[in-house]
Amino acid sequence: MDFGLTQPQELLRDSIARFLAQDVGIERVRRVMDSESGRDEAIHGQLGDQGITGLLIDMDLGGSELGMQEAAIAAQEIGRAAAPVNFHSSYVLAPLLIAGGDGGERRNDLLEGIAEGRTLVTPILDAPIENGRIDGSVLYLPDAAWADAFLLEDGGSLHLLDATTPGIEVEALQTVDDTRRVAEVTFSSVDLGAAESLGGNADSTRRALYAAQIALAADALGAAQKGLHIAVEYAKERKQFDRIIGSFQAVKHICAEVLAEVEPVQSLLWHTADVWDEGSDEIENFAPLLKAHATDVANQAVTMTTQVFGGIGFTHECDMHIFYKRAGYDRQMLGNPTALREQVAAVMYG
Amino acid sequence: MDTSIGSEYDSLREEVRSFFAANQDAAVPAGPGFGGDASEVRRRVVKWQQRLVDAGYAGREIPQRYGGAGLEPDPLASLVIEEEFQSAGVSLGMENQGISMFVPTLLHFGREDQKQELIRPTIRGELIWCQGYSEPGSGSDLASLRTSAVLDGDEYVINGQKIWTSGAREADMMFALIRTEADAGKHGGISYMVLSMDTPGLDVRPLMTMTGDASFNEVFFTDVRVPATNVIGRPGQGWEVGTYTLRFERNMLGRSNATESYVAGCVEILRETGLIDSPVYRDRLLRLEGRVQAMKYHQLRLLTDRLKKRDSGAGGLIVKLNNCQLNYDVCALAIDAMAERGVLKRGSKHVRDYGNWQRNYMYALGLIIGGGTAQIQKNIIGERGLGLPREPKPAAA
Repeated sequence: MDFGLTQPQELLRDSIARFLAQDVGIERVRRVMDSESGRDEAIHGQLGDQGITGLLIDMDLGGSELGMQEAAIAAQEIGRAAAPVNFHSSYVLAPLLIAGGDGGERRNDLLEGIAEGRTLVTPILDAPIENGRIDGSVLYLPDAAWADAFLLEDGGSLHLLDATTPGIEVEALQTVDDTRRVAEVTFSSVDLGAAESLGGNADSTRRALYAAQIALAADALGAAQKGLHIAVEYAKERKQFDRIIGSFQAVKHICAEVLAEVEPVQSLLWHTADVWDEGSDEIENFAPLLKAHATDVANQAVTMTTQVFGGIGFTHECDMHIFYKRAGYDRQMLGNPTALREQVAAVMYG
Repeated sequence: MDTSIGSEYDSLREEVRSFFAANQDAAVPAGPGFGGDASEVRRRVVKWQQRLVDAGYAGREIPQRYGGAGLEPDPLASLVIEEEFQSAGVSLGMENQGISMFVPTLLHFGREDQKQELIRPTIRGELIWCQGYSEPGSGSDLASLRTSAVLDGDEYVINGQKIWTSGAREADMMFALIRTEADAGKHGGISYMVLSMDTPGLDVRPLMTMTGDASFNEVFFTDVRVPATNVIGRPGQGWEVGTYTLRFERNMLGRSNATESYVAGCVEILRETGLIDSPVYRDRLLRLEGRVQAMKYHQLRLLTDRLKKRDSGAGGLIVKLNNCQLNYDVCALAIDAMAERGVLKRGSKHVRDYGNWQRNYMYALGLIIGGGTAQIQKNIIGERGLGLPREPKPAAA
């Protein structure tokens, strides 16, 4: 019995945290947030240099061939730092989908590019493919405005389409969480022949989706923990009525309640990542249940910890809103809590 | 991550299973489906407890000379036993203030003769204890207690009053915090002593609780004479001994053994009523399931900390707060699902599961309050877990 992270995993966590604190500080995050495009061009290469984009990619393709536990560690630290990247999509969902295919040379090139952080692929699940043509508009695609390629999934089959293919139009949408952007991609009757088939199967697609859900849960947990941390630090310094506000039970109990909800989520995250790594069928329940529970808890947590700051908590200047919005994005993407709970209920109770 | 328990425990698992097979006649079920006549329930529970002690599943770590199995503490063996009992739906035995709180305290602070005399009958369910801590003016601020004793020859003479004393009328003995030195400071003048509930001058008056049980009592002390040798630890050491006991109270009240049995019972009710197909009930059930699973794996994390002899920090302080609330919420959902049937109480025609759901719905609220209220737990989490400052003392008037 040894429940929790191994020593190498703790070292990995510490090194990712150190890198993010040094190179992706909150000033940089704020610059990206305030920019029109919301794009941080350099971050992908930097994450590649740190080995963060290749955690789930084989060693002979330049990755570190680790598992979901390590990817979840990275996602949690990225959430804690509010780093401007759709890690769950570009570095969890995309490489797992591609790795599950059998695209030969092309598959390996792509994975090498992702491991280095020089290739960005936006996956499109359940793509609008009919009678050999891709036709229609797909919404809310992470990092799509600067993707090199789109990976279209249809019934488990994967098709890779270069982003410069004629007949594709990409339009950025404005997100509440300015640290991560999404776009609308419209395909105007693009011939499927223009895409490369990468094989694929429904099983590996499902596992890739569960992994991305775990990554979003981890991101939300990191954001909630950071929000609690800065609220507690503030409560230890701020004085009102000649008292440190953290000595008021009204404030102290907010922090205690948030901690009491957030800590068990860490345990559930570790377990769920482990279920994924073990390849167990139980992931069908655990991944959606984790994502529902973790993002609910995280949203409640940031709602409460923002209030510890009083009026300043509502300002743009205070960092709290960054984590508040972060948790909101994680809640909405790839299944909201209510929908996911119904999905699990259908499995458990018919 | 290694969440396996190791094949060396397989034989233990087998042993527990054959124990169940051989003791089916006495097995007491866990969860909401057990109840009925109180004295019959008590008789069956004690009988089962004694089988468990004889087999080494209760009193497992108590030395043999005191009536236990004398095994080394082994959290994994305990986990295997718990798992087997849970999957068989069988009670893990008696859990009360004597067994769960007093015995570990006595083992740590007691004299040899005290251990010889008191531990064996306690773990066998023959000697029932109550805890004399709270007083009318000393609840959350326990150290302000005023029930006091003066030494007269080789006896203490006690006067004062205790309150919220669970099980005082059924109890044979009490362990109590008594002020034995008036001028030794708030925490310094307290002694931890044991006394027989038959002692002249003790007057126990029942307090009816909201569950309809008179499980609480007031205990009045009028010149109650107790041998000075009944002190556990040194005179004046009572605060240290008493807070040592409270640690076990937090653990006992925070246990989640029965939570999964109750969730299963709740699902059964939802199926019976057809509400399992209602999206609203499904959502509520799955919300609970998320919390139940999170706490379940959180316990494995805390277990790993224990195995590695590592402090769990803030993560260890939240268990009582969370599990008591969770148990309450599970009962609330089950009662909701019963609709009007949910108004019935124990003994009524048509009541489900002996009224255990209704009783536990209220009893769980009692546990949210008892053993350090939820609000006190949040102070502990905030101060010890997060390092927030204590409430300043009010300026003297």
